[in-house]
Amino acid sequence: MAKDLRTDVLVVGAGPAGSMTAKWAAKGGARVLMIEKRQEIGSPVRCGEGMSKDWLTEVGIRPGPWINLEVEGARIYSPSEQVLEINERSAGNEVGYVVERDGFDKALAIDAANAGVDVMLKTAATEVLRENGRIVGVRAKQFGEPFEIRATVTVGADGFESQVGRWAGLPTNIAMRDMDSCLQYRMTNVDCDVRYCDFYLGEVAPGGYVWVFPKAEGLANVGIGVQVSKIKGIAEPKKYLDAWIAQHPGYAKGKTIDVVGGGVSISPPIKQSVTDGLMLVGDAARMIDPLTGGGIANGCIAGKICGEVAAEAVHAGNPSHELLQKYDKGWRVRLEEKLYRNWLAKEKLCTLSDETFDKIVDALQGTKLEKLSVHNILKAVHAKYPEVTREFEAFL
Amino acid sequence: MPGKRDLHIESSGQLCIYCGACVGICPWNCIYLDETRITFDEKVCTRCEICVKACPVGAIEIG
Repeated sequence: MAKDLRTDVLVVGAGPAGSMTAKWAAKGGARVLMIEKRQEIGSPVRCGEGMSKDWLTEVGIRPGPWINLEVEGARIYSPSEQVLEINERSAGNEVGYVVERDGFDKALAIDAANAGVDVMLKTAATEVLRENGRIVGVRAKQFGEPFEIRATVTVGADGFESQVGRWAGLPTNIAMRDMDSCLQYRMTNVDCDVRYCDFYLGEVAPGGYVWVFPKAEGLANVGIGVQVSKIKGIAEPKKYLDAWIAQHPGYAKGKTIDVVGGGVSISPPIKQSVTDGLMLVGDAARMIDPLTGGGIANGCIAGKICGEVAAEAVHAGNPSHELLQKYDKGWRVRLEEKLYRNWLAKEKLCTLSDETFDKIVDALQGTKLEKLSVHNILKAVHAKYPEVTREFEAFL
Repeated sequence: MPGKRDLHIESSGQLCIYCGACVGICPWNCIYLDETRITFDEKVCTRCEICVKACPVGAIEIG
């Protein structure tokens, strides 16, 4: 039987949000243990691997060998495949790098370890420990051996299928319309353009989009997200993706060398992310941007705040709901408005017909947008197709 | 179980890609993913079929 452990801060899950939390808690002077159920940090990858880059300095991440390439911008394809090109600056730095996610996750875990964090692999949490209504750690298994880890503060960074949040009774359930079911092929011998991340909208991917993120000349992640509430039959995301590829000769001739799947939450911000002794961070706290489906930046930004508050709670000797609430407030100040706004935008976009998507892209093609915001887009569309923007007046 | 249809998660690797989409969406938290093994708690499962839709590759059947 493995020995029971005691630490200041326990982080469950060694993805980007977990490693960030662990690193900043350790830098704040806390003893930190990070556990990971898999045998390898970062693998298997479940990610499109595109990410923005303007936030990296904010959380102390330096670019590394995990960057495959830097793109110049994004191209948005309407259903009739008119193209809207968005350079990086006007996209608000929403595009930037295509990365090697397993390398990225390992780099962040190494950063955390260098800051003093202890890491245990092949270690799964099996339930949370409670004392007087407070969460005081988890019961875990390492290589099948059960033991207990007691901690002043426990952090659930256990991803989309978070168990920690559910065990703690936090409101992490998601509705079918607030989740995209995703599938991606890594394809070689394709005609991708290494200067752009491409997005295809409309009925090709109901309630989501098809993406092509180039990783090198001839090599790209080709994936799809479909809103679960729009799925009627079995294996529809795969059928939609296969159909899209079949219709695009530059990709139909490609060869698939990897298949990746996963769920992405596209929900409004979670109502509560902390309880006595426990905080949730990253995908586990439903922090994914509901419009883009990107989760790394938000997870890392919130992770830094989470780690700082965890260290503070350890020093105060008080992991109460009130003190941990500082984290809940902190990430909301930084992220909540955009999450909510993008969720509203997503709710609207999901209702648009292919014809409307075509009109929007057509109206935007001839205009020069200084900054790509929902407001600027609507203004431009309104000028050409006022009937399209009628139901969007709340945004104008 | 009377009144309940069979739930079958194909997890031999022929269809399931162990992505966890079903685990995250299950409103009853009765599906478990352990690296390359998916199991479910048949007593808790209500056959709501949300996981069937959420699976990107069609690995879950309710017969």
